[in-house]
Amino acid sequence: MSALIEVRGVTRRFGGLAAVDDVSFDVHEGAVKALIGPNGAGKSTLFNSMTGFDNPDAGTVHYAGMDVTGRKPHRIVELGMSRTFQNTQLFDHMSVLDNVKVGRYTRTRTGFLAAALRLPRARREERLVEEEAGRLLRLLGIEDFADVPAGDIPHGRRRLLEICRALASEPTVLLLDEPAAGLNNAETSKLADALLRIRDMGITLIVVEHDMGLVMEISDSIIVLNQGRKIAEGPPRLIQKDPVVVEAYLGEEDPDV
Amino acid sequence: MRAVLTRMGPGGVRLVAALLAVVGVFAVPLVLQSTFTIKILTFAGINVIIVIGLALLFGYAGQISLGHAGFFGLGAYTSAILTTTVGLPWILGLVAGTAVAAAGGVIIAVPSLRLKGHYLAMATLGFGEIMRILFVQLRDLTGGPDGFSGIPPVSVGSLTLETSGADFTLVWVVAIVLLLLAANLGGMRPGRAMRALHGSEIGTSACGVDISRMKIVVFTISAGVAGLAGVLYAHVLGFISPTNFSLNVSIILIAMVVLGGPGSLAGAVAAAVVLSLLPFLDAFVPGVPREVSEFIQSWQHDLYGLTIILVMLFLPRGLAGGMRQLVRWIGRRPSVEGDTA
Amino acid sequence: MGFDEQLAQFVFAGLKSGAIYALMALGFTIVYAATGAINFAQGEFFMLGGMLAVWSLDALGVPLLLAGLLAIILTSLIAVIFEELAIRPRRDADPLALIIITIGGSMLISSLARHAFGPNELPLPPFTEGGSLHVLGALVEQQAVWLWLLTALAVAGLTILYSRTKFGLAMRASAVDREAAKLMGIDTRIVVMVTFCLAGALGAIAGVAVTPLTQTAYSVGPSIAVKGFSAAILGGLGSPLASVLGGLILGLAESLSVAALSSEFKDATAILLLLAVLFLRPEGLFRRSRREKV
Repeated sequence: MSALIEVRGVTRRFGGLAAVDDVSFDVHEGAVKALIGPNGAGKSTLFNSMTGFDNPDAGTVHYAGMDVTGRKPHRIVELGMSRTFQNTQLFDHMSVLDNVKVGRYTRTRTGFLAAALRLPRARREERLVEEEAGRLLRLLGIEDFADVPAGDIPHGRRRLLEICRALASEPTVLLLDEPAAGLNNAETSKLADALLRIRDMGITLIVVEHDMGLVMEISDSIIVLNQGRKIAEGPPRLIQKDPVVVEAYLGEEDPDV
Repeated sequence: MRAVLTRMGPGGVRLVAALLAVVGVFAVPLVLQSTFTIKILTFAGINVIIVIGLALLFGYAGQISLGHAGFFGLGAYTSAILTTTVGLPWILGLVAGTAVAAAGGVIIAVPSLRLKGHYLAMATLGFGEIMRILFVQLRDLTGGPDGFSGIPPVSVGSLTLETSGADFTLVWVVAIVLLLLAANLGGMRPGRAMRALHGSEIGTSACGVDISRMKIVVFTISAGVAGLAGVLYAHVLGFISPTNFSLNVSIILIAMVVLGGPGSLAGAVAAAVVLSLLPFLDAFVPGVPREVSEFIQSWQHDLYGLTIILVMLFLPRGLAGGMRQLVRWIGRRPSVEGDTA
Repeated sequence: MGFDEQLAQFVFAGLKSGAIYALMALGFTIVYAATGAINFAQGEFFMLGGMLAVWSLDALGVPLLLAGLLAIILTSLIAVIFEELAIRPRRDADPLALIIITIGGSMLISSLARHAFGPNELPLPPFTEGGSLHVLGALVEQQAVWLWLLTALAVAGLTILYSRTKFGLAMRASAVDREAAKLMGIDTRIVVMVTFCLAGALGAIAGVAVTPLTQTAYSVGPSIAVKGFSAAILGGLGSPLASVLGGLILGLAESLSVAALSSEFKDATAILLLLAVLFLRPEGLFRRSRREKV
């Protein structure tokens, strides 16, 4: 059975430096895959190459059997892969609820003419969008901020909002870029619960994260990148003890050990 | 009454308000005696139409256009030439003028897709200037710097709009209809997508919006609306010349949207009306002496320049933002019992 | 006139405009480097140079050379005032906001000039009287030579300032990375202020030098601004050398278009080149392309 996502030999160079160097892996449907590695390891660049925000110099990305390498971002969202960003890309001047509503774009059809004329089907769709957006806010516990401009909500909620917005497109795969950054322990714990609930909804998760506690708690499988290369892949227990991984994070292995 | 309004929702209220406004528009020429006043209000209406398009492009989608007078002129000259030189009926002039201007929007939008902020501003400025140069240099077609005269009045079939009152009604009915359509957009899927584009292009892409297509569509609509205004302008005035479509005009249009406030259609419209009527204050506000109007006319461009600077520095959310602050502040004043949120 | 003489005439005409565009492009570029913004009011600095020279000469009765100097100094002052009042309060705003402010400023300054100096075209006598020179079969006004001389001096002066002085180093550092420059103890506020002062001076020099050839009026700002910006971006915005080259190339291109086609669309040359550069190679002819990272 082929994997939902197949990444083969993806390479991305900036100038002479390979930010991502010949990375290959599979992600199976329903899995929670974590992508870890020291800063600058190429994780976000890899995400960009997988989601159309950047074109890899070499390699392919297959999703549900289709070659999506180099496709435009909006196409990839339509196909079922949504993502969040390390620097949240929210619409600060719009309300939290409106931000999520924009996420419904690919699952709705009201065009310029129908909207301008406020046709009945446009109004019906609008009501559904409102309901769905509200439901997602409640799912992640930020419904109290519904009418607040996104630029005014606390930092910890911004990432949750972006997750809500990504969920609004009914993705099959959700790619999260450091969802726990800047969250305290309590918030991270709630995030872990939310992510597991999302997984239980049948959504495949790929998560870039630095918070090892979170990673260990929710992932089935971990990929470790260092300086653009994949240096390890496996279940959390094994990765935790892998000396190659430890070395990458600490710089050099203690020669006395 | 209030129950009815709440049941209708904002869209319904808008529609009713628009219908009432249209009725009002028919009544105004009957009430106002002075042809001069009616003409001034008509041109204010034409500015409102252009500004509606520009507010969608700049206020909502955040794409600046410093050459919008070019689209305005394209519509005007196209219709003028087709109805006068070629002798086609006005309706065709209207359609062609709007279409040519809209095509102009596509032509500038497509190569500009990757341009951001000030580079886009300069590209649109360049486009507007090219248009003006064409209006001046294609003498045989446009009449050159001396202008194009003898443009026939608006006529559909056997009905011809001969009076300024009739022109006023036409222009403002069009303005109200467009305002209604544009306002409807705002609260729905396309309007949200436009406003998202202003907030974050990357985020908008991540929501599955084809931002290239969105930019082209918004530019086209905005240009087409300006072209429509140009057609009306040409046939109401009967004479057009390249100075009506200069860089100064483009800057004044931007000043109106800036003054209105980003993302606010109502603000832009209000600003357009205020700035259009200000030089003729004595005609609209009783008791204001002629000298004040003359002063404002003489210092008009100083005023526009100063308005742009002051609004951008001190009131970035424009009139609309100022109004919202005011409403919030009024709502905050201590009530009889307890506190307000 | 034979073909060679005609060509020489066109080339010299192109170099005349080219010098103006080079000075304007320099003004645009140094402000862009310091603030990240396009200063549309640069065109008004050009207008003020000519206008204030005429005013100093006629209203103050000051001798010509002193009038020119006074015009340059006053324009630089106005440029600094403009920066302090209109730019600095929003210095952290995005470039789009800043360009809108400078456009408003341009409209304000030109309107004030109309009130102060009237709506008519005004002349300025050339620096030295005398007939035109014969160079390579073409007729070149003495004033044109002054123009080239002043342009060369201005460019040389700016180059020395940039590459040899400590302040120039501070300017270059702020252009590369404002935050890093601040951390190193550079007062970026002073850098921006001086930059505007220089931009005002550059625009005014161009205005003073060319007004004897073309006359001046309150409204000349915007069109020269567009051409100056076209030149700057043609060469490559942000690099002084590239901007100067861009100016010369634009001047020559314009002149050749008049020679090859007709004078009617001369103004369109600059704009078409501007659009071509923006659409095809925004970094300009002489700069290496920078890739934008997501």
